[in-house]
Amino acid sequence: MPLDARPDEDDATLLARYARGDAGAARALTVRLVPRAHAQAFRMLGDVAEAEDVVQDAMLRLWRIAPDWRTGEAQVSTWLYRVVSNLCTDRLRKRPRTGVALDDVAEPEDPVPGVEARLQEQARHAALREAIAELPERQRLALTLRHFEEASNPEIADRLGVSVEAVESLTARAKRALAKALKGRVAALGYEG
Amino acid sequence: MKVAPEQSDPDGIDQMLDELAALPAPDPSGDLAARVLADAEMHMPAPDPSGDLAARVLADAEMHMPAPGGRPANIPWWQQIVRGIGGWGAVSGLVAATATGFVIGLGAVGETGVDTLWTLGYDTYYDTDVGLDAFGWAFEEG
Repeated sequence: MPLDARPDEDDATLLARYARGDAGAARALTVRLVPRAHAQAFRMLGDVAEAEDVVQDAMLRLWRIAPDWRTGEAQVSTWLYRVVSNLCTDRLRKRPRTGVALDDVAEPEDPVPGVEARLQEQARHAALREAIAELPERQRLALTLRHFEEASNPEIADRLGVSVEAVESLTARAKRALAKALKGRVAALGYEG
Repeated sequence: MKVAPEQSDPDGIDQMLDELAALPAPDPSGDLAARVLADAEMHMPAPDPSGDLAARVLADAEMHMPAPGGRPANIPWWQQIVRGIGGWGAVSGLVAATATGFVIGLGAVGETGVDTLWTLGYDTYYDTDVGLDAFGWAFEEG
């Protein structure tokens, strides 16, 4: 993608310009927001095509809300992160359950070294994604921002509009919920803890 | 990303999350950007009206703006007619001209009426009072 054509203007300003009919602002927002949203969707879904569909859907919602956007109430990037997260969650919840145990995975007839490990890895990722999708929204956002976006607790607090202590609590509860959801399957998924 | 464990990780959750976060995320395809921009174009509100239009509207507003302390906005319909004609002076002139025309018109009709009456009277007198008829003429002439 080309470089950001309007680096001096923040997202809200560009969105306001788009709402006034500035097509160049739409291009600048696309260049700025789509790669990050796509990376987020890919980590949550593990599928390139699905991630692209989610990003297109999320950006479409942004274009639609542009005329009613209230500058100062929320950051555009945070709003988009939340929309992408919710769209990914919807898709994960509609997916058929993977049955994460390796017992459900057929053994290859002539196992090639690494194949079993690769299958185990895929099963592990699928199980973790399903468990993340089942988290309450704020726990899910705090957890993914912390681990996938490399955001610090103060940054997460700022983006979610909560205190740093609340962020620590949200991530801790999220991890406990994941551990509970994956209980008994961690060893099968390749972790001994 | 390796998040520094704030506590022990007996369930391996941090390790799993780190592994998932380390997955290389591919760059979005150019097709995605094209789709997003097409959506943006489709849903883009109409552009702001040009400055020229705004200037013309303001000029119209200024032209039709009442003078400070001018007449109130609600003017009775008959006052609007009087003002439209040109004021009370114009109304007076119009009334005078109308009256004059009416009088002249009456005179012309009166004159025509007198002639008509006179002609009719003459004919009647001639026929009835003199009493001449075809038989009389024939008697006198023998």
